[in-house]
Amino acid sequence: MKTILYNIISLIILSGCAKIDNYAEPGETLKGTVVDAATGDPVLTDQGSEGTRIRMRELSWTASAPENLDFFCMKEGIFQNTKVFKGHYNVRVDGAFIPIVRVDTNGDTLVDESKTLDISGVTELEFKVQPFLKLEWQGTPTVENGKVTATVVVTRGVSPEDFKTKIEPMGNYSDDFLNVTDVRLFVSQVPYVGYREWDNRYTTIIEYPGDSFEAHLGEPITITTQGTIPSGRTVFIRAAARINYATENIKRHNYNEALRVDIP
Amino acid sequence: MKSKYYFLYIILGLCFANISCKKYLDVPPVNIVNEGDLFSNSKGMQLYLSRMYSQMPFEDFKYSPARQFFDDWLVTPGTNEGSSLGRDAGEAMTSEGWARNGAYWVRAFNLLRDANNLLEKLPSYKANFSDEEYNHYIGEAYFTRAMVFYALAKRYGGIPLVTSLLQYPEKDAAQLEVPRATEEETWDQVLADYDMAIANLNEASPVKGYANKYVALGFKSEAMLFAGSVAKYNRITGFGQKTGVRVIGFDPATATAASKKYFSEAYKAANTIIKSGKYSLYKKKWSAGDKEAQYQNMVDMFFDASSPENIYTKDYKWPDLAHGYDSYNIPRQLMGGNGYSAGNCPTLDFVELFDGIAKNPDGTIKVLDNNGKYLLFDKPTDIFADAEPRLRANVIFAGDVFKGAVMDVRRGIYTGSVAGGIAPLRVVNGATNYTIGGPQTYNQTDAYTATGAFAGHKSLFLSQNGTTHEVVTLPDGTKMNGGGLNGPFGTSDLTAAFTGFMVRKWLDPNLPQELVLEGRSEQSFILMRYAEILLNAAEAASELALAGAASPDGDDLQQVMYDAITNIRERAGADPLTGMSELAGEQGLQVIRRERRKELGFENKILWDIRRWRTQHSDMLNGFTQSDGAYYRGLYPFYSSVADKWFFDAGFEEARKRFRITEQEYYFMIPGDEVTKSPVIDQQPGR
Repeated sequence: MKTILYNIISLIILSGCAKIDNYAEPGETLKGTVVDAATGDPVLTDQGSEGTRIRMRELSWTASAPENLDFFCMKEGIFQNTKVFKGHYNVRVDGAFIPIVRVDTNGDTLVDESKTLDISGVTELEFKVQPFLKLEWQGTPTVENGKVTATVVVTRGVSPEDFKTKIEPMGNYSDDFLNVTDVRLFVSQVPYVGYREWDNRYTTIIEYPGDSFEAHLGEPITITTQGTIPSGRTVFIRAAARINYATENIKRHNYNEALRVDIP
Repeated sequence: MKSKYYFLYIILGLCFANISCKKYLDVPPVNIVNEGDLFSNSKGMQLYLSRMYSQMPFEDFKYSPARQFFDDWLVTPGTNEGSSLGRDAGEAMTSEGWARNGAYWVRAFNLLRDANNLLEKLPSYKANFSDEEYNHYIGEAYFTRAMVFYALAKRYGGIPLVTSLLQYPEKDAAQLEVPRATEEETWDQVLADYDMAIANLNEASPVKGYANKYVALGFKSEAMLFAGSVAKYNRITGFGQKTGVRVIGFDPATATAASKKYFSEAYKAANTIIKSGKYSLYKKKWSAGDKEAQYQNMVDMFFDASSPENIYTKDYKWPDLAHGYDSYNIPRQLMGGNGYSAGNCPTLDFVELFDGIAKNPDGTIKVLDNNGKYLLFDKPTDIFADAEPRLRANVIFAGDVFKGAVMDVRRGIYTGSVAGGIAPLRVVNGATNYTIGGPQTYNQTDAYTATGAFAGHKSLFLSQNGTTHEVVTLPDGTKMNGGGLNGPFGTSDLTAAFTGFMVRKWLDPNLPQELVLEGRSEQSFILMRYAEILLNAAEAASELALAGAASPDGDDLQQVMYDAITNIRERAGADPLTGMSELAGEQGLQVIRRERRKELGFENKILWDIRRWRTQHSDMLNGFTQSDGAYYRGLYPFYSSVADKWFFDAGFEEARKRFRITEQEYYFMIPGDEVTKSPVIDQQPGR
């Protein structure tokens, strides 16, 4: 008798769960690259909110205003999201490059190069952008007494004229935007080295006031790490530089590729 | 038989039908107090206002940047502004993620509705009150609304300006959606509401705890200083995705004019209070040239209910409304029954702001002699013997007295030789390193691990926590624990003075130790005091002068600044200004800001100041900015057993509390569900 009673009670309690969530799980994939429009090279970035951000908005969902679905680019400038609901989307990217969606001081859109597309199966995208700066290693880093010395060349990815043509209409323009404010040699013990993953015992930050970096553009800059990295360690280094201009309210760095350095 | 029942049913049915139509039964329930009762006399109004005041966004002993409003757990004011650090607090405020009572965005609208309700309904009950009473109540409603809008604006920027009573449930919720206004419109509304409050409120509070004209003027000056600073210094702006409204930041075309307007309003409000002569700096025990009296005066002022400096206080009374400030912040040596202590350890960076300390050319405290060896002191208090009395009223130093007990603060005992002086302790494998890459705690140093120059003779003895001590036998045969009763104990136990200092401000010097409990303290929190008014006037005057604006009330701006800073410094026992020129220009503004940090630390003001100045992310702090992640420093007292002297080691504090904020975090995120469920509420642009 009791068993029957328990069965009935549990039936009543459990009946609330009877309606199963039969919405198909997200299975579509959005992947792609962010490349330099001029050279076709991927735009290297930090991994995290100060790097290249992919923002998707599902337009086919009409029950409420579309929400921002954000994820971040990998450090090689590629992105992939394998859990996307099938539907119609708007996708934009923001990073250390000329914004692809530009609005003026009234909030009116000047240029919108974001992509609106159906995502189903594996959908690939390529964003052609103009990075503010380009960084390249020169030679191979050397190690002496637990300090890594590396040489990097910083050049502009976009000419000052082109920058001004595109940014000035957004209002409140200043020539200071183009100034390179700092060059960093990030050090970390993991390959994902960058602004969100750096060891402040070894990383070197060089600040450049005003437009004092102008003379160093295209010239090799030699940077040595701080402190002493214990011997036997493996570290990853990466150089980064940024200009005095914020995209989506964040001043983001441009990067070169991470290098592995073994400290003898 | 059957027809008889039908008949009965019909009769019964008719009865019910009749009853439901009778209007005379539609009366308000007699067991519920309704608006007519509340708005009938001042006693009823007291109930209505009590409910409003209980929801006021006051940043008092029930507020912390981590947990926000209405939560008295772990209240350690100062720990997010850089004045101090605590075991449970010590990072930049970047969100409301820890707020157990939810984001203020959600809470604000309850109180806003009460204020709007009062504004809309009270006019029909005007006959029940004298003109003076009626105006005061209307003023209270505007004051409340201004406080709510101000609290929202400094957190979120542009907000939904709900200035009328939303008819809910009469209207459909969808019709009542109010989108966010621009940040400029929001600050204009704050200004308008404070002005209405000032125009209507009585000269004096009719009941203790109520607002009055000067309370509203005080908060107006603070709010307008915030608005003016944001208009001037903010670099973050953008448009809402749904509405296209500039919900944060100012339009570059109007920012400069707006900033001047707000600074001018801040100046006028503050100067009105100054000229009223109703308030003055607390100097009851003050005596010229007497540092002890000046120190005692600044301790007493926080506990004297009759202080002429208090413009507005939040009062507490056990058991109805109490808080736990003493419990969380008491020195460990005097810990109360709940086991909390030292939640508020001032940083060396804060201490170095003050006068009367020997300093190096770069402004850091002088702890080494010219040969790079530690300066030796007979008593630990000697290093602060000539310190500005205000510092001592803020901070408990090693060896100072609190509640009749000598505060035992000692990081360790150095037993090494003192011949030729003691070299700095932060040495690992022979390499001295005071950078962030150096040893994090003294447990890693050569003197402790007996390596390098100390090979074979361990010379540093520490305590790992309050119960595990390394004991040193002193030359006179007595035994001494490595660490003091208040620590510091390195990173293993942070309920000690882990920066080398403990807070004194607000700690009740007369509370018996058995009452140092959570929810047992009842000292008032001073929400607005005259010193802030002077600082507001000085800062607004300085900003106006920098902007090339004329004095809004004809007074000489330089003179207003000079008088304000001179009076504050004199009361504090600080070095006087060398002359009026010290306050001129951009440099003068920095002098005024520095004075503010010294005067108003631990009062829930400074964090908002560094946010409105937009310097929190960019100020260089010990080699790093907070946008890269920055650290504060501590001052660690050591006892040399051989010399029977004390020395101090200054450097990064051992817990390495990391402060990090990105520029966009000057604006809090709008709670995600509020954005999702509304067709008009915008998230912060770019986030």
